[in-house]
Amino acid sequence: MRFDFTEDQHEIKRTAKDLLASRSTLEKVREAAEAGEYDAALWKELGELGWPGVAIDEAHGGGGLGYVELAGLLEESGYALLNGPFLATALCAAAISEAGSDGQKDEWLGRLASGEATGAFGLVGQVVPDGASADVVVVADRESGEARLLTGQGSLEGLDSIDPTRRYGIVEGGLPDGEPMPGDVAAAIDLGCVLTSAELVGVCGRALDMTVEYVKDRKQFGRPVGSFQAVQHRCAQMLLSTEGARASTYFAAWAADADRDRLPEAASLAKSAASKAGIEVTASAIQAHGGIGFTWEADVHWFYKRAQLDAAFLGSSAEHNRRLTALVSP
Amino acid sequence: MDLTFSDQEIEFRDELRGWLDANRPGEEPRGDQDAAFEFRKQWQRSLFEGGWAAVHWPQEYGGRDASLMQSAIFFEEMGKADAPLPANALGLILAGPTIMAWGTEEQKERFLLPILSAEEIWCQGFSEPEAGSDLAAVKTKAVRDGDDWVVTGQKVWTSAAQYSKWCMLVVRTDPDAAKHKGLSYFLMDMEQDAVQVRPLVQITGEAEFNELFIEEARVPKENVLGGEGDGWNVALTTLMNERSGLGFFLQTRLRLLLDRLVEDAKANGRIEDPVVAEALGEMHVRTETLRFLAYRGLSIIEQHGQPGPEGSLTKWLWSETNQMLTQLAVSVCGPAALTEGEAWAHDLLRSRGNTIEGGTTEILKNIVAERVLGLPRK
Repeated sequence: MRFDFTEDQHEIKRTAKDLLASRSTLEKVREAAEAGEYDAALWKELGELGWPGVAIDEAHGGGGLGYVELAGLLEESGYALLNGPFLATALCAAAISEAGSDGQKDEWLGRLASGEATGAFGLVGQVVPDGASADVVVVADRESGEARLLTGQGSLEGLDSIDPTRRYGIVEGGLPDGEPMPGDVAAAIDLGCVLTSAELVGVCGRALDMTVEYVKDRKQFGRPVGSFQAVQHRCAQMLLSTEGARASTYFAAWAADADRDRLPEAASLAKSAASKAGIEVTASAIQAHGGIGFTWEADVHWFYKRAQLDAAFLGSSAEHNRRLTALVSP
Repeated sequence: MDLTFSDQEIEFRDELRGWLDANRPGEEPRGDQDAAFEFRKQWQRSLFEGGWAAVHWPQEYGGRDASLMQSAIFFEEMGKADAPLPANALGLILAGPTIMAWGTEEQKERFLLPILSAEEIWCQGFSEPEAGSDLAAVKTKAVRDGDDWVVTGQKVWTSAAQYSKWCMLVVRTDPDAAKHKGLSYFLMDMEQDAVQVRPLVQITGEAEFNELFIEEARVPKENVLGGEGDGWNVALTTLMNERSGLGFFLQTRLRLLLDRLVEDAKANGRIEDPVVAEALGEMHVRTETLRFLAYRGLSIIEQHGQPGPEGSLTKWLWSETNQMLTQLAVSVCGPAALTEGEAWAHDLLRSRGNTIEGGTTEILKNIVAERVLGLPRK
């Protein structure tokens, strides 16, 4: 057993972190959020590097790696709050891989893998990350197990959410008109949970790092506020929540690649842990930053807002907890 | 990332399962502490005869040279089989490895085998009334008299002391040295009149722990472990072993408890209540997260040679979850669960000790903040 990335997987993750640290700084995230636009040049570069297609099979123009590698990249994109439709496109590609017909796969997977097309994925009645701007959208219904593939930008209504770092759309009413999808819709949703959890783990990791750095530096009463036990214990709790979400998410990513029987449980474990951690850790980050953390000027609020949207997406912690109980007690 | 066991690990697990099938531990007697201890002693003898008493010990001392992962598997399987902890758990987990690390050849020869066979039971004399979380504050003192040390003082929270032949004792041998430096680590014979054991009745009504009153007890100089003045470092070796492997046992126990609660909630229909279903699901998440963290912690030690943050987090998460789970059980099962003699009532009360014993949650948070996150001390 090796409950850790291999050297190659670590290398992919490290390279991603370095790239985003220089290309997707928080200044850029802020500019893009305030302008309401993504960094198109960065997206092109990520497409050339093969990020959106890392888990798509080689026959469809992907990298042929797995969901573990994709989760590693998504953790880093969450850490950087990457301003581009990476999560949404990866979710859409995963959904088409699982639930799409051969024709749908042939038509879309290669273009999504290269970044030439962008995608989105979501559930009926819910908010969909990058749903309004994507070239192809998959909308699924967990109840009926059906899904539709919608093509053409603007197939979903846009929505101004509290998170301006990302464009959102909304699916109102029931299943929209579109191409039916014949494959495994439940697996597509579970994969979506795993991948969103990976982003949340990155969001938590960054909120924690920013907080630790801040409380070491900020002085009150003549000493760093990070030397006060009340602040220390808050930070320790942030670490426990983050590491718990991380371990559950890595397990789920592994199950997505290697043990599909355990994917439904693993996906709910991960999404429950990561949603709860995302909300708590980013809220704690604001509190530990004090008054400055409540200002638009400081960057912590972007993480709090992303965590709120991600936590609600594809089922909250509470919904996944109930699903887990139903799974062990049918 | 590979979360499957290796062939050797599976072979190890299957051999253990085969042995467990042929040697079921049976039901631990409830309500009679002496009988329960005797039962656990028999269980350890049976483990010893099968060669399973201390898989993590080196082969030359009767162990199996088990890897960290095999050791984890051992404790998981024991937990799943609902096996009791061996009577001499403190000897096997704490005293043995500490003696192996610091002992002379004579000490290893003298002490290790009877630990393994449960012939000699061990207890741990670290905490004192004025030295709980702050171990370096111990006051129990020892003065030299010829070839012996003469020990006077008081220890507390000493589990199994009434059954013990030996005690791992931290004492102050140099009152003038700085706090940590004046300590030594003794292997004290409990069978002498100068050592009085008084049971400490806890909130469950049981007495797992004791107070030790030591009035001029004698410890021959051959029974100093490490050198005079090395007590702090020897004690750290003991404490580092405290959470090894055992966490997996506790995790599987927690999972069995959760399964029992789900069964209870199904039986009384409360599982239909979405609030109850949600709360049970949260316990499921915490329990499985604990297992993932524990395995991840082991992998990281195996890959990098040193522990990541997970080790400090598992005891904290386990103890809190055990408290939350037993509280939820009371809410799911209603006031009947609070009846004297009920398993849930006992587990609820016992769980209050979990966030105190073996390092309070407050101390664990301090350790995480300072040593893992690098936050400044005042």
